[in-house]
Amino acid sequence: MTTSTFLDLAEPAVGADRAVAACAEAVRAARAAGADEAEAFLSGRAGGYTRFAVDRVHQPQDVHERQLMVRAVVDGRSARVATTDLAGAADAGRRATGRAAALARAAGPLPVLPAPASGHDVGVLAPGTLWDPATAAWGTPERVDAVRGLMRAAGAAGGEAFGMLGRAVTELAVVDHDGVERYAAATEAFGTFTVRIDDGTSHWVDLDRRLAVLDLDAVVARTVEEAGRARGRVDLADGTYDVVLGPLATGELLEGFHAYGFTGDAVADGVGAVARRRGERVAPETVDVADDPRAVRGLPFPFDPEGTDSVRVPLLDHGVVADAVTDRASAARAGLPATGHAHIAREETPHPAPASLTMAPGSASVDELVGGVERGVYVQRLWYLRVVDPAATTLTGGSRDACFLIEDGRLTTPVRPARFTESVFGVLSRVDALGADVLAQPLANVWNGAVSAPALRVRGFRFGSAGSAAATSQSPEEETA
Amino acid sequence: MSAHTWGSLDDGSARALLEEALAAATGEGVTFADVRLVEAEEERLYTDLRGKLDERREHNAGLGVRVLRDGVWGFASAPLDGPGGAGAVARRAVAVAGASAGTAPVVLAPREPTSGTWAVPVDVDPFAVSAGERHDLLQRVVKAASAPDLVRSVTAGLNAKRQHKHYADSEGSRQSQHLVESGAMLLAVAADERGAQRRSFPNSFHGNTAAAGWEYVLGLGLEDEATRVGEEAVALLGAPQAPGGTADVVIGPAQLALQIHESVGHALELDRILGDETNYAGRSWVQPEDIGTLRYGSPAMTIAADPTVPGTRGSFAFDDEGTPASRHLLIQDGILRDVLSSRDAVARHGGEAAGSWPGAARSDGWAWLPVCFATNVYLEPGEGSLDELLDRMGDGYYADDNRTWSIDDRRMAFQFGTEAAWEVKGGKRGRLLRGFSYGGLTPQFWGSLEAVAGPEEFKAYGMPCGKGEPKQWGFLGHGASPSLFRGLSTGVAR
Repeated sequence: MTTSTFLDLAEPAVGADRAVAACAEAVRAARAAGADEAEAFLSGRAGGYTRFAVDRVHQPQDVHERQLMVRAVVDGRSARVATTDLAGAADAGRRATGRAAALARAAGPLPVLPAPASGHDVGVLAPGTLWDPATAAWGTPERVDAVRGLMRAAGAAGGEAFGMLGRAVTELAVVDHDGVERYAAATEAFGTFTVRIDDGTSHWVDLDRRLAVLDLDAVVARTVEEAGRARGRVDLADGTYDVVLGPLATGELLEGFHAYGFTGDAVADGVGAVARRRGERVAPETVDVADDPRAVRGLPFPFDPEGTDSVRVPLLDHGVVADAVTDRASAARAGLPATGHAHIAREETPHPAPASLTMAPGSASVDELVGGVERGVYVQRLWYLRVVDPAATTLTGGSRDACFLIEDGRLTTPVRPARFTESVFGVLSRVDALGADVLAQPLANVWNGAVSAPALRVRGFRFGSAGSAAATSQSPEEETA
Repeated sequence: MSAHTWGSLDDGSARALLEEALAAATGEGVTFADVRLVEAEEERLYTDLRGKLDERREHNAGLGVRVLRDGVWGFASAPLDGPGGAGAVARRAVAVAGASAGTAPVVLAPREPTSGTWAVPVDVDPFAVSAGERHDLLQRVVKAASAPDLVRSVTAGLNAKRQHKHYADSEGSRQSQHLVESGAMLLAVAADERGAQRRSFPNSFHGNTAAAGWEYVLGLGLEDEATRVGEEAVALLGAPQAPGGTADVVIGPAQLALQIHESVGHALELDRILGDETNYAGRSWVQPEDIGTLRYGSPAMTIAADPTVPGTRGSFAFDDEGTPASRHLLIQDGILRDVLSSRDAVARHGGEAAGSWPGAARSDGWAWLPVCFATNVYLEPGEGSLDELLDRMGDGYYADDNRTWSIDDRRMAFQFGTEAAWEVKGGKRGRLLRGFSYGGLTPQFWGSLEAVAGPEEFKAYGMPCGKGEPKQWGFLGHGASPSLFRGLSTGVAR
């Protein structure tokens, strides 16, 4: 365990020398035990989180995690062994090799796929992109002070605040039998809260390597004001509206992109958008969606757990279905370049996944977007989105928190959460303007995952619950997709 | 050798680390401390149509320390890392609490110290099953599921997990639990020019996992079920779209287990009800004053929380803050009687006698704070077989196996879709339908429950769940027998 406390500047849970040495030891032991190939990564995270509700810091946490995972290959069969015990790195390497050999005996050898091409020019991350001294210095006392101010501001407005402010250091080391040896560590500042005043609520979330980007003072004032304005909510009648999706709602709309076929596995299987619709325009030129691990906004990181450089992959290139993210295996199988998007999710098979989703901003303010709507709805946040039909990019979910009717270009009556079932490509095809400001939020269950997006104005968005006429009508796109 | 004899720490060595941490979790203003030490190992083996195998075995061991100092929690955690480490984690927890002081105080509900040891019954250690046996089973499953030409993708997997969980607190409780679980999953996708359809077994989201040994996997009948799964995936390609409207529906146990999870389990977490989860997971449509009087559903609805039932992912002897497990009726004959609680939430709510609440403080291993998650929460069976229930319904649908799910942040308005549904006419199952979905509001939905089939039709499911900030995983048990609901809103999307 580290001997430092939260009162110090944040530092990696493991550190470069120890992390790389553990990975190297695991790889050496795997090779010595007979592995044809071996690689190891160590991911670590030291996080301090100040969670609060109403008048209490109810869950202050100082969490240090790490995992060393070694993958060994014998006769084309691979096995992974992971541990938190760095003194057991060599044993992990040997056991991975033994298990791979056992699989090879049981299942027979498997031809080794050719190594994928890199195929990308990789730029160097600008100095300071990963590490922000101000974030590193944002310790528990500083976060608690900020929380007190936030709770006071909500209380002064007659409301309550709930949420979390956090700071973390994420680190990743990778070593393989072929001489790859990499390490990087990055700060992360994270804030999220909801202010409730009577039945009115407003929500905010943002994250970045740099604390200053969060701009907490301004955000607190705005969120408290919005919660006050959101009081007296009424039901939203089922129907089709022009909508302005706030930056958080837009980001949430993008979270399901992996399911629509933007991965190397989907391309290799011949299913999904890239395999079947590559080159097709599905949205206006202004809609530019990418996975960009090198974008400064969000959580940039230079490589993935396989040690591959993580590069920008256009998904909807100015509205046109473009490319897929890959890990090494899916790249080899699909004949695509390796893009550095390896992902090992809990309770799932390893697979490539977008981890740094971005949508390019436009130039409008939210007020300008709203000003262009005669009758519609402003949606701050979406909630519990689930893909219904990946081929049609259809998902269902609900709106949440500060949502308002738009009448004659102005936010008017606040509305309660409402359910929708919509095609994401369909929604994006009806975008006619994008906001200038971007917010970033975590991608659930994805290592170092984030999505950053601006506000959107969409001409036609259907709200309606089960059995309603609005919800059961299907758009032409859904019928033909 | 016992399935529980493994790992780097025996109970005695673990106890020494707990005591080291407790001894360090002291100082001015510290009134309570608890320590959890968890050693866990998980194994997963997946394969697919191409014969690619992916195997991983993950081991972790660490310590989480929670202290109450001047009425404010402090929590710290770290992996085990040699002498002196346990004390260092405890001192960090004390420091975190000190730095967080000055906000409203936490009070704990009174509880007598409880000590003991408990172990999941295991017939066959899943970690002792050979690579050859596991691989052979998966290959047979994949072959059976992919027999029809239009099956384009099959994924099959086996999983096992074992844990030593040790707990100690400053009030004198000393507990050790030895857990083992086993599971399997199968997913087949058929595709042609008409689209793609999926079928799964034994549950659609990560398969199913039970607190048991390899005998659970063998009892699933995977190979036979794989044949059915492949055939049904293909049949769904040509099946008509399920119509929308209003209909009577018998919902099968897998789908109903998820419905219970989303619209009962989450809604009855006391921390949600009190507002603590407002920012992320959300609140509940249930208010604190509703407990004891609210009509949640029809008289056919009785929901129990009982971690003492063996074999589920929600089975334990002590929750993760040391409260002994016991059976509680959350909903009895449709009336809300109790809620899932943690010790500080119970104290804030103020209505419970010492130690009598449905203890549901659970955490994802050693690294995270305990928060309210469901335990083993299930719908009490009624009477009769599935066929008798369909006969009682007459005309309607039988739907099962979740395809998509979504519910609002108060656990009120929801929409669920199933992988498969069958038209029922005159009590007999007829045509297979694709794209069945239904939606509604929680109290109306449960109010429309007319009858629940008997215990012979009951099935239990183990599920993962996410909650908290940062988000942590919980592992829960839910179960149900097929149940008849009248007048549901159906339709929406495929």
